[in-house]
Parts: sequence; structure tokens; C-alpha cells
Amino acid sequence: MANIAAQRIKREFKEVIRSEEVAKCAIKLDLVDNNYTELRGEIAGPPDTAYEGGNFVLEIKVPETYPFNPPKVRFITKIWHPNISSVTGAICLDILKDQWAAAMTLRTVLLSLQALLSAAEPDDPQDAVVARQYKENVEMFRLTARHWTNAYAGGPNANPECDEKIKRLVDMGIEEHQARVALSSYNWDLERATEQLFS
Amino acid sequence: MLRFFISFFSSLFQMMIHILTTKKHIIQNVLSIYIKTTGGNISIDIDPKCDVSHIKKMVAPQIGLQPEELKVIFAGKELGDDIIIEECDLGQQSILHVVKIKPGNVQSKISASSTPNSKTLMPLCESLDDLMFSASSGSRTASISIGNETSTSDSLLDEIEVVANNEKSKPKKVHFYVYCPTCKKLTQGKLRVRCHFCKSGAFTVHSDPQNWSHVLESKQITGTCENDSEFCENILQNKEPTFAEFYFKCSEHISLGENDQAVPLDLIRPNLRQLQCLACFEITETIFSFPCEDDHVTCLDCFEAYCKAKLSDRQFWQHPEYGYTLACPSGCANSFIKEIHHFRLLDDEHYERYHRFATEEFVLQSGGLLCPQPGCGMGILADPECIRITCQNCKYVFCRNCLQGYHIGSCDPPEIQETSGTSGDCGTELNCDNRNGAGDDASRTTIKVITKPCPSCKTPTERDGGCMHMVCTRAGCQFHWCWVCQTEWTRECMGDHWFG
Repeated sequence: MANIAAQRIKREFKEVIRSEEVAKCAIKLDLVDNNYTELRGEIAGPPDTAYEGGNFVLEIKVPETYPFNPPKVRFITKIWHPNISSVTGAICLDILKDQWAAAMTLRTVLLSLQALLSAAEPDDPQDAVVARQYKENVEMFRLTARHWTNAYAGGPNANPECDEKIKRLVDMGIEEHQARVALSSYNWDLERATEQLFS
Repeated sequence: MLRFFISFFSSLFQMMIHILTTKKHIIQNVLSIYIKTTGGNISIDIDPKCDVSHIKKMVAPQIGLQPEELKVIFAGKELGDDIIIEECDLGQQSILHVVKIKPGNVQSKISASSTPNSKTLMPLCESLDDLMFSASSGSRTASISIGNETSTSDSLLDEIEVVANNEKSKPKKVHFYVYCPTCKKLTQGKLRVRCHFCKSGAFTVHSDPQNWSHVLESKQITGTCENDSEFCENILQNKEPTFAEFYFKCSEHISLGENDQAVPLDLIRPNLRQLQCLACFEITETIFSFPCEDDHVTCLDCFEAYCKAKLSDRQFWQHPEYGYTLACPSGCANSFIKEIHHFRLLDDEHYERYHRFATEEFVLQSGGLLCPQPGCGMGILADPECIRITCQNCKYVFCRNCLQGYHIGSCDPPEIQETSGTSGDCGTELNCDNRNGAGDDASRTTIKVITKPCPSCKTPTERDGGCMHMVCTRAGCQFHWCWVCQTEWTRECMGDHWFG
């Protein structure tokens, strides 16, 4: 790895560790390897959103050409969000693509992702299914996102109704995550989800 | 007897050593310079510790004039009699201009040299250093206050203020950085001046340049041409000012004459304000200062890394005026690098690549084509109506539309073959070197199988996950297209098969 990238990440790592956001437990950053090419980020779900109370883990890969090219970031924690793929965790955020600037840092990336959780941009989606639900039935979207936060990110708001529907599909021999995806995609309509799963 | 001989020889030996060492001492201190007069060139060897009046005395008899009638000009300034040559930053083989004082000017000359402050007659490069670093010490306050009023963000004077506040620290010498075509590297440059019209170095400026635009743009600073060319004589008689033309010389090699110039790299500067590199956060002695409003700087290593990163992604821009260039890595508006010689900082391999990409980009933007044959990549400017293209270099005949071997009838439908895509962004350019045919047959096949050409510029593009909305990564193209339809991205694509 190029020296500049490693040196820069070293500094940024220190910056994040000392930042007030870390002190407030809003973001977290860990090293995955010793040569600063891969890191593990963590952001807290912003208050007053469906993601409140959840902790979302991110995979951060630093390219050799960093900071002149953006870091490659994806969600490891499964999340229900229009700009984040519910399948791969890939993120659609301009600053991680063409709007990246060399003066940005891992700290600004983590904070921008946190901001993305507060304010989705359904017109520039990464996940079409989630985006459609967000636009057509925002209440249903919130419910689903809150449920995913509870199921995968340790969020406190369990929804017994959702859990019950998933349990019924699991009892039919469907894998839990698969069942959750199907129900989420069909606005928790058990009948249609079952139909899709067995078709 | 023997003892006598031994002592005799040893004293002789010591004397010889003494002579040899002192002679060596003298040789080291001789400065060979050329004196350019209206009558021709004179080569003289001088002791750098002597002053200008000494030179006048040496030269005067050779051109049949009295020392008092002479004026010595170097780098835009008449040198005062008491200036020590050593202080003038004069390299070996430098050229001094000696002219006869014109009758009308005698009075002014005498008054100038009789003022106690004859240091004003230092050569330009030296006085600029003085100007920048002794700003608070007084003697030149007039010109400084003018400078401050007009100072812009790239003003040389920005740095003066800082240094003036910091008076106690040891004054650093301001450097100009140049790309020297002789040394083939970045070197420190020396500022020189000549007449804009007759290009003669026998020229004195009326004022010092205050910022880079005074130096780089033409007709910014007026002066007096002391050369007897007819054209400049006419200008002088009409009482019109002539203009100074600034240029740079490399300070590392011995001057090869008046045409031995170096390109000023004005964005490379001494880091007088202790600015931090925006990429690695280090504070280095020399910085690359981007022409943006926020004064973003990088260290020279990071500038090189930036160029290489952008080059391998073909992310340089073909600017209509400046050429193939880059902007500030922070994405600031209007921050393109004007002087593309800055990219000479790249090593040979990357500079060669820069050059090739620049040429290709120019050909493509002029509506031309690049020969698709491996190992060729010749730029071809053909009639837009013409579909059958023959490469003049390798004789390959191909179809303008699909870049395959020439065929009659419509082009083959593009092969639909899905990639074993990993997750990632839309639109990754797979192999920029393919355009130049650098790849072998195996990689060519791979490129054919897993890529689709951008419908606009034909750049082979790999989709490694994400949606069907592709944005061509080639700077200057950035065409929005649909991976499925292989045409421009439309609302229909968005509604029908955005995610496949």
C-alpha cells in the first residue's frame, strides 16, 4: 500500500478516536489489519429515526490511491434503507463516488452516513424495493426499518406482530432472513409473501 | 651536506605545496562571466568579492570609453558601483550588460549613485528577495504599500507579511521553481528580465513585479530598453514605455547562453505560511499550491501521487485552453492547473503515459478515432461520413461504429454476457490501456466478454454490481447510459429495468 494512504489513515484514525463523536458513542472505528488497508466502522442510529438505538457496522476498505479516491464502504449490518442495498449493504452516496474530495476524511464519511440514515434520498436509490415502499407508504417503511434495526442492529423496539409473522414462515421451513425480506417487500402481507416464497 | 639537501628539498617541497594550494584557492574564486556590450561580447574572469566599479574599470578600456560613462545592467536593474558581485547571485558564464550612459540620463544616474541608499540598484532577483523579507525594515516602504493594496491571493506579498511578523527567525531566501529542460528535473530558478520587443537583456525595469501575474503575463511592467535597436529607439523617442519580459533560468547548471531558459512552475512554492498538505497532513518545505480560493496545498509527493491516481483512472480533463490537466483534489471550482509543465514532476513512465492520454483525449474530442488494433492505437481524424476506416499506421481496416474489422451491413448485435460481478459502484472502466492495444490476446478476450462499450465513446466498461444506470468514467465523456439497452439512460429504463 502506498505510503501516503497508510500515513493518512493513521492520522485519521487518531482524529476519529479523539473526536467528540466517539466520546458520545455516535461513531466508532477499529483497525482490521495492521497496515491500515481495512477498517471497521460503527455508527449509532440517529435519534428520532427508525434506526434509533441500533448500531450499524461498516466495512471500510482503503484503496492504494487514497485520499485521491474514496474509501470503499458498505454496511455489514443488514439495514432497510432506500440508499443502501438490503442484500449487499452497498451504499449509494455521492461523496463515496464522484463527489469525493481529498480533503474529506473517514470521520466525515461516518458522519455523512449517519446523516444519510436521518435523511434518505429515495430519488437516488440503491435498493429499488425499499425506495418504492418509502415513496408509497412511508409508515410501512418506518415500521420495517425499525423492525430490521431491532433484528440486526440491536435496536430496542421489537414489533411482536412482525416477529410473529416471521415465526410462522420459519415454521414452514423458510430461513429467517429470507422470510423477513419477503414480508418486508410485500408490506408484511403474509399471504403475498408466502405466495412469492413458494412460487 | 646530505642534511642540507634534505632541508633544501623539504623547504622546496613545502613551497611548492604552498604555491599549489594558494593557486587552487585562487582558481576556486574566479568567476567567468560574459560582458555584452553594443560592440560585442567580452569574456572576463573576476573575483566575486570585487564590486561593480571594478568591472567598469576592466571593461572601459576594451571598448574605448571611460568607466564613468558606463552602466552595468543585470536582471532588470542597473548595478550601483559599490555592489559586490557575490551578492548578485551571478552564476558562472552569466551575462552582464554594459551600455554607454545616454547623455540625457547622466544626471539621473549621478543622483542615483550619490544617494546613500544605492542598494536599490540591486539586480531584480535579489531585490525581490529583499522586498519579500525586509519589508518592515523600511527603505522600500513605498513599493510595498503599493503592493499590499493590489495584493491578490497569489501575490508574492502574502508571504511578506507573515515573514515580517516573524522577523527574528532567520530569513529564508525565496525560491522560484522551474522545470529545467537541461537538467530534466525540478530545480530552483532565477528570475531574469529582457526587453519585450527586442529581447535584449540590456533592460531596466521601472518597478519590481509584485505578483505572479506581473511575471507570467506579458506587458505588465514597464521599463527602459538600453539596447540600441531601431525599434526600441523609436519607442523611446516617442516617450512610450517599453515593456519587460520575464523569464527564468535554472540555477543548478552553468548557463548555456541567453536562450537557456526554464519553464516557471508557479504553483510550486516555498511553504512560507506553514500550510498543511491536504492529503497527508504533513507540513513540508516546498508545496504545490492549487489555484483555488481556499488555498489548498499538497506536498510534492502527494501531488505526484494525485497525478498518478487520476492518470490511471483517466480522470484528467481536456481543458479547452490549458490542455490535459487536473483541478484541485478538493473539487474546488475553477481550479484547473494552467501550466501543464507541472506534470513534468511525474517520472518518465508516467509522463509518457500522460502525454499519450493527452494526445488520445485530444483526438477523441476533435471527433477522431483511435485505431483499435493491439499495439497500434494510432489517432485517426477521418471524414465523419466515412464508416470504413483504414489506419495509416498498421493498415488495419475497421468499422467506425463497432471498432471491429470492417464489414458490410449492420454491426453485430452486442453480445449479452453477464459478468460475475462483485458488489460495488456502477460503471468501472476495466482497462484503460486496451484502447492502446497494450493488452495481450487473453486479456483482450476477457475485456470483450465482461465489458460493454460506452455507447458514446466506446470505452470498454465493466459493471461490477449496482444498478443498470452507467456513467462513463472517462473524464470528458461521462455519458449516462443503460447497461441493458446500451443506449442513453432514459426514464423508461428507470421504470422498466433499473435494477435488472
